[in-house]
Amino acid sequence: MAELPTPTERFLQGILPENPVYRQLLGLCPTLAVTNNMKSAVTMAAAVAFVLFCANIIISLIRDLLKPHLRIVIFTLTIATFVTIVDKFLAAYVYSMSKELGPYIPLIIVNCIIICRCEVCASKQNVVAAASDAVGQSLGFALALFSIAGVREILGTGAFFELQILPSSWPNWIIMVLPPGAFFTLGLLLGLVNWLSNRSGKKAT
Amino acid sequence: MEFIAEIFLIAIGAALINNFVLYYFVGICPFIGVSKEVETAIGMGFAVTFVMVIASFISWSITTFILIPGAPISSFVAGFFLTPEKAASIDLTILSYIVYIFAIASSVQFVEMFVKKSYPLLYRSFGVFLPLITTNCAILFACLTIMSNVAGIDNPENAWGLSKAITLALFGGMGFTLAIVIMSGIREELNFADVPEPFKGAAITLIIAGILAMAFMGFTGVDSGIRRLLL
Amino acid sequence: MGKFKDNYIVKAWLVLSIALIFGSSLAGVEIVLKPKIIANKLNETLSLIPYLIQEKEKEKSQNLKITFNKVEIEKNERKIFYNVIHTSRDGKTAGWVVKSKGPGYADKVELLIGFDPNMKYITGLFVIDQKETPGLGNKIIENNFRNQFLRINTENSLVAVKTGKRHPGEIDAITGATISSRSVCDIVNTVVKDLKQPLGSGSIKK
Repeated sequence: MAELPTPTERFLQGILPENPVYRQLLGLCPTLAVTNNMKSAVTMAAAVAFVLFCANIIISLIRDLLKPHLRIVIFTLTIATFVTIVDKFLAAYVYSMSKELGPYIPLIIVNCIIICRCEVCASKQNVVAAASDAVGQSLGFALALFSIAGVREILGTGAFFELQILPSSWPNWIIMVLPPGAFFTLGLLLGLVNWLSNRSGKKAT
Repeated sequence: MEFIAEIFLIAIGAALINNFVLYYFVGICPFIGVSKEVETAIGMGFAVTFVMVIASFISWSITTFILIPGAPISSFVAGFFLTPEKAASIDLTILSYIVYIFAIASSVQFVEMFVKKSYPLLYRSFGVFLPLITTNCAILFACLTIMSNVAGIDNPENAWGLSKAITLALFGGMGFTLAIVIMSGIREELNFADVPEPFKGAAITLIIAGILAMAFMGFTGVDSGIRRLLL
Repeated sequence: MGKFKDNYIVKAWLVLSIALIFGSSLAGVEIVLKPKIIANKLNETLSLIPYLIQEKEKEKSQNLKITFNKVEIEKNERKIFYNVIHTSRDGKTAGWVVKSKGPGYADKVELLIGFDPNMKYITGLFVIDQKETPGLGNKIIENNFRNQFLRINTENSLVAVKTGKRHPGEIDAITGATISSRSVCDIVNTVVKDLKQPLGSGSIKK
């Protein structure tokens, strides 16, 4: 069996080389749905990071006790519990955000990123590696969300974090904050990332 | 008449106007992953619809009879230990997410077993997709939509009945099938197109999905016209 | 047989104990956070009430008594329920606030509508939930549109017009968002039609 990556490698891999959105195409549903403004993107990234971090640590702590056929049940149970906690927490302290994100917070349960990290990393490595993996993957996910949300909010409303940055003569591209804009932005950014990595790959050889 | 009109509006709302994939962005993973050929796309679409209806039925029943405050089963059980008023105020909705995800997982298992035994032909056409469906957000999304119309609403008297819940699931699933079949048709043609290297695969699929979403936006507002005619 | 069963339970002990731990932690979360969530939901409505019943600045929300009522209407042989908020000062009705939902252009539109004690005219309107098209339909939340409803008589049913209002009961529709404007008018009309009689005549009072 191949050597498992060290904590530092796990952390660095999550950010770019194994970016959950651009590289693994995981968790696309929140990536598209909540990126019409930066505020909801930040909330979503924080919620996913919290759930991923907690789930990874718990799974890593009990990894020696896991039975192969009950593994997925325990993953799901852990994730669903933490998602419920996040959901209630948002409703109690950031009510307007919780109302805006609506069903997309509970949908974190079926976000493939988390279950994939539990399976690939946390159920095999120790707590330190699992924690740094969670942080790295969350950063990568946040990076992807912010890049998409930034493009969409700036082009769609001329603002960034609701702060007007483009001149008011800018004709707001409303399509960018509507559903089609999400697909276009992610598609184009994905193409761009592929192109950049192809180019740097060629240079290296 | 009013009831039929409401059902009809839920149906076109779920299938066309607010299409699960192109408006709510749920079920994107299979939409991109399993849309290379029309035949597999149809299989996937039917599997999702099938499981969605069953999972919605289960989650509607659990929500209505056990989870919401004043639900018959939970207040009956709690009635043994508590006073009737306290028993009627028991609110188990905090467990709903956990319950739904297990309802989905078990209905996937159940459907797989049932179809494999009773309809081997059908199983061959979409059986392979069934295990994938457990983590399909579209199904959990249908359950959550139903929940938001049953629990925590202002007037418990206006809560959705079973018929509305099933309509939403059935037509939501059909909307998913429609979107994935259209997409796979386009992607089959795409094999003959000269797509720039970096855009091959997921990137071009997403851009096509954007154009499809624009087309489906044309349906917005249709329901307000129909509503004026019917109600 | 007993041994077989034992075996299964032993195998699943981890799942069971984890379920117990998570269950109790969720119960803790529920106990701590639930009052806050309920308060948040209420505050959303309560904070708007003074503006909805046209309070004068100095007496704003002072000794205003707010009660939540449920009003039942029979329409087309079906029972319809409304959430009506009754506000009173010194035992005298200060105004009514009705919460109502209706279909908008994209999704549901939820309104809070304020009426004077006799349901003769509208004293305020807030859109508390909407997902209309950004930049077009979502202008229904702006004051320019909302303020048109102030002091409008409830005698005539409201119509959204595109060419500038001329007659009483006409509302200027938002350019490019006729359907959104129309749905707000429709919701108000339905509420007036259903509740004008029961609330205005004073048959419901608490």
